[in-house]
Amino acid sequence: MEDCVIQTNSIHKIYKTGGLDTHALKGVSLKINKGEFVIITGRNGSGKSTLMHQLALLDKPDKGQVIINNQDTSRMGEVQKTKLRLLNLGYIFQEYALIAELTALENVILPAMMHESGRLAKKRAIGLLKKVGLAGKYNRLPPQLSGGEQQKVAIARSLINSPSIIFADEPTANLDTVASKDIMEIFKTLNQRDNITIVMVTHEPEELAYATRHITVSDGRLK
Amino acid sequence: MKYQLRLPFYLAWQYIHRGKKWAIALTLVLLATAFVNLLFISSLFNGVIDGSNKQIINTMSGNIYITSKNGKDFIGNTKQAVKQIKQIEGVEGVSAETQVQGRLKYSGITVSGQILAVNPEASKTVVNIADKIVEGAYLKPNDTNKIIIGCQIAGGEGVANNAFSFKGAKVGEEVQLMTDKGVKTFVIKGIFDTKFINSDLRAFITEKSYKTINPNYNPDSSTTIIIKTNQKYNQDELVDKIKALDIDGEVYTWQEAAGLMKSVSESFLSINVIVSFVGIVIAAVTVFIVIYVDILNKRRQIGILRAIGIRSYIIVLSYVILSSVYALGGVLLGTVVFHFGLVPYFQAHPFEIPITDVVLVIGAKDYIARAESLIWVSIFSGLIPSIIVVRAKMLDAILGK
Repeated sequence: MEDCVIQTNSIHKIYKTGGLDTHALKGVSLKINKGEFVIITGRNGSGKSTLMHQLALLDKPDKGQVIINNQDTSRMGEVQKTKLRLLNLGYIFQEYALIAELTALENVILPAMMHESGRLAKKRAIGLLKKVGLAGKYNRLPPQLSGGEQQKVAIARSLINSPSIIFADEPTANLDTVASKDIMEIFKTLNQRDNITIVMVTHEPEELAYATRHITVSDGRLK
Repeated sequence: MKYQLRLPFYLAWQYIHRGKKWAIALTLVLLATAFVNLLFISSLFNGVIDGSNKQIINTMSGNIYITSKNGKDFIGNTKQAVKQIKQIEGVEGVSAETQVQGRLKYSGITVSGQILAVNPEASKTVVNIADKIVEGAYLKPNDTNKIIIGCQIAGGEGVANNAFSFKGAKVGEEVQLMTDKGVKTFVIKGIFDTKFINSDLRAFITEKSYKTINPNYNPDSSTTIIIKTNQKYNQDELVDKIKALDIDGEVYTWQEAAGLMKSVSESFLSINVIVSFVGIVIAAVTVFIVIYVDILNKRRQIGILRAIGIRSYIIVLSYVILSSVYALGGVLLGTVVFHFGLVPYFQAHPFEIPITDVVLVIGAKDYIARAESLIWVSIFSGLIPSIIVVRAKMLDAILGK
């Protein structure tokens, strides 16, 4: 139990659209231990992204519990959840999700500015950008970077507050093969060297090789 | 906490610093237009009110006005009263006027305007008729058979009151003044045009001329005394000082003597309040839509900020700051356009209405009130949509649902 960083207890998620109920998650229970590299796959509409959104506290299940680092998030208010997201969880979205008005460096620093001075965070941010291979591109705005580079900025941003878990939602979906491999290698290093738990959703079969565990979602249930 | 409080300012600065310049410029232009609209309508009405008030003061009554007491036809001891009033600090000019009961006749047309006997030099110290002569010249104290008439009496093309005028009397032509003491012929020495109909329906002769018509005329009595005061001095205090002189007459402020124009001014004031309110509502809606659309376009960005752990209040505050900056920019730009564009333009090309030439007039209080309105509206326009967006489902915002 000590090693368990994520636990779900029978979570359900129902989407209501135009009077029609779609049962996206049907009582999913799982445990993810510290240091695991979990890849979630499934067909379109299987519920894999929905599952990750619940784990990452981006959405709230209609029923069931999500426990992160031994804290029951179903009992948390929005402020507590925001704090948990800020300090313990990192996110990487398919569409990079960078703030267009901020440079690569400023995007990375931003989450750290919630609790420390920008000057202190800057040193760490430069280190992270170097680590993901973006040395010298600190002052570029997102549109001045390639897709792969933007995703690397997003990775650096997710690491700025030294999270224990990183969630990545199809992070290579918009990238070419070379950039995709680059990104996956970064994840591998973060997982193996820094012991960061990674939970990733993907459609790419070749990326399964990086995982320490593979979860398949089908029709709202774990297979 | 201190780091968190810096973040909204940082984000707002970055939105402005790195945002799309044309979008920011367009927002500023829209806000400036809304502000100019608020100022313009109000200042136009103020211009009408201010213009007509100035016309009353500068062409007719002065700032303070003394009439004979009830039951009396004249103010007694006029010379002594004028001398005493002149000595009061803050009084710039005093003139006694005597109303001549009679009618003017020219080329078979009889007109009954107000005819006043004045000392031309004294009159000049209070009213500006001498500066409004458009043809001929102003009276001199020794003129005995000269008259100056308002353009509404002289008539002619473009004169509003032409139907009841002499329909084109010219300088040098003769008019007859018919009184119960007899008929006297005067030569039109000048025609004045104050652009204030009430004033231009009058005619002036000298006291010396009046003496030739009415041998019983006593220069030490008059029907009115008009007084010009320095604006720096409190009018009510000056009225009290004049009343304390115990003059044989009733002392009024120009507002009390304004008559019909007073109710016209009051009507304009009421219309101004209504139009200003409508202007503020229109500005509010415009500003709200502009800022609301701006924030809705940043819905995804707001979702991302929330996802990476930025507290909602910081996001809301950043948009409130952004809206305030837009508002301040709009106020600043609007002020520049208004004060350095519209005001000088209307001073050079005033609106011409029958009572005055209207220029744009806005007091500091009105200006501040309108700037404050726009800033508050902008703050709410930033606050409400950003609260709506941060309260929406984070995932919907990020996925643009």
